[in-house]
Amino acid sequence: MKYRDKPALQQKLAAEYVLGTLRGPARARFQAWLREDAALRNLVAEWEEQLAPLTAAVDSVEPPQRVWHALEARIDTLRTHDPQSRSGGWWNSLAFWRNWGLIATGFAAAVLFTVMLKSPEQVIPQSPPTADNRMQPSYVAVLHAMDDEEQLMFMAYAGRNANELWVKRVFLPQTTATQSYELWAMPGKPGEAPRSLGVIPPEQKGTMQMVAIADTALKDVAELAITMEPAGGSPTGLPSGPMIAKGECFNFW
Amino acid sequence: MTPSQSETSETLQQILLACAHQDRQGFARLYRITSPKLYGVALRILKRADWAEEILQECYLSIWTHAATYTAGRAAPMTWMTSIVRNRCLDALRRPKLEMVLQATEADDVDPLDGIASDGPGPLDELARLSEANALRTCLERLDPRQRQAILLAFYEGLTHTELARQLDQPLGTVKTWVRRGLERLKGCLAQADGRAQ
Repeated sequence: MKYRDKPALQQKLAAEYVLGTLRGPARARFQAWLREDAALRNLVAEWEEQLAPLTAAVDSVEPPQRVWHALEARIDTLRTHDPQSRSGGWWNSLAFWRNWGLIATGFAAAVLFTVMLKSPEQVIPQSPPTADNRMQPSYVAVLHAMDDEEQLMFMAYAGRNANELWVKRVFLPQTTATQSYELWAMPGKPGEAPRSLGVIPPEQKGTMQMVAIADTALKDVAELAITMEPAGGSPTGLPSGPMIAKGECFNFW
Repeated sequence: MTPSQSETSETLQQILLACAHQDRQGFARLYRITSPKLYGVALRILKRADWAEEILQECYLSIWTHAATYTAGRAAPMTWMTSIVRNRCLDALRRPKLEMVLQATEADDVDPLDGIASDGPGPLDELARLSEANALRTCLERLDPRQRQAILLAFYEGLTHTELARQLDQPLGTVKTWVRRGLERLKGCLAQADGRAQ
């Protein structure tokens, strides 16, 4: 990666990340590097420690009681449904992803190869659609892991007039009871917020209902992305958890 | 209440350790001690109480589930938790705040920039509230005033380069240079101060 042999650039990015001026795609890219680069994490930790005294001057404000009550309720749910949550965020651990990557990479390459072999005839239809072949995929997205473009994670496709998205988990690990994967349509224009396409079904293959037909719902979408969210999806309506996978959304015809 | 410095840090470390062992009472204590400061941090950046509440809730949930991954010695507990909150806030800000303030104040026919500038004490006043002995304060005071202002506004208000440029009425490139050079000089000055201290 090109930032690796540039210490001055690393310093600048780490400083601006902590200060808060590194934003948008640059911030997301930097976060992906952070996940796999311990030296970069140390730079960030240094800056966090150095700027920490600034926080002392921020006025404390007592949050409303409802925040604590909601928090307690959510922790109770964690407990009842998920005895394993004590280890906390296994999906976020680098070791997990490393091991997963080792096992999965070979298989991923094979699947990707198969997809590519099949794509002219099967993924991309050769003939234009007729009224009765709405299932022919017109929009196709192939999502890869954030830190490994060759690791295929997830596929989604839809006919242009269909309001169902066909999805297939390729290497998406199972979630625990308190977590959900959420699929997002990332707009091509900067400044536009990602739109939720909903929580990904737990089955290996399934369908997701869209609010409109693909030609409307996916028209200006540049990429699809998956984040890890609390069960049932992000509480804010915007991605709130770590991004797990992403990939370009192609409109074939 | 300011949970500062080493004495509180030690207690907070113990409480975090308790949280790592699923101690709910410890967690309640941690929340009581630290939430006003963290809520204040979130409010300053997000400018909206409803968003700040959401983020605060998520952050404490994350602190609860990740307490076991906190390693003492790597960062002070308050620094660790503040970073979680700041990062969540910055991640959540997809829409420029200035735009939001614009929309909110349009009806009142008020200069939208006032919304940011007059929101509590300015960052320069806050600098004065930091401890005199603080190396960071000394180093910030040595910066070019424009560099210092840009850095403090970015940190406290969570402004982007573009928002800074509008707020300071300067070209984007100029503001980017102020921030970059200011951070470089700050780094150099802090390293020197650190060298002297040892």
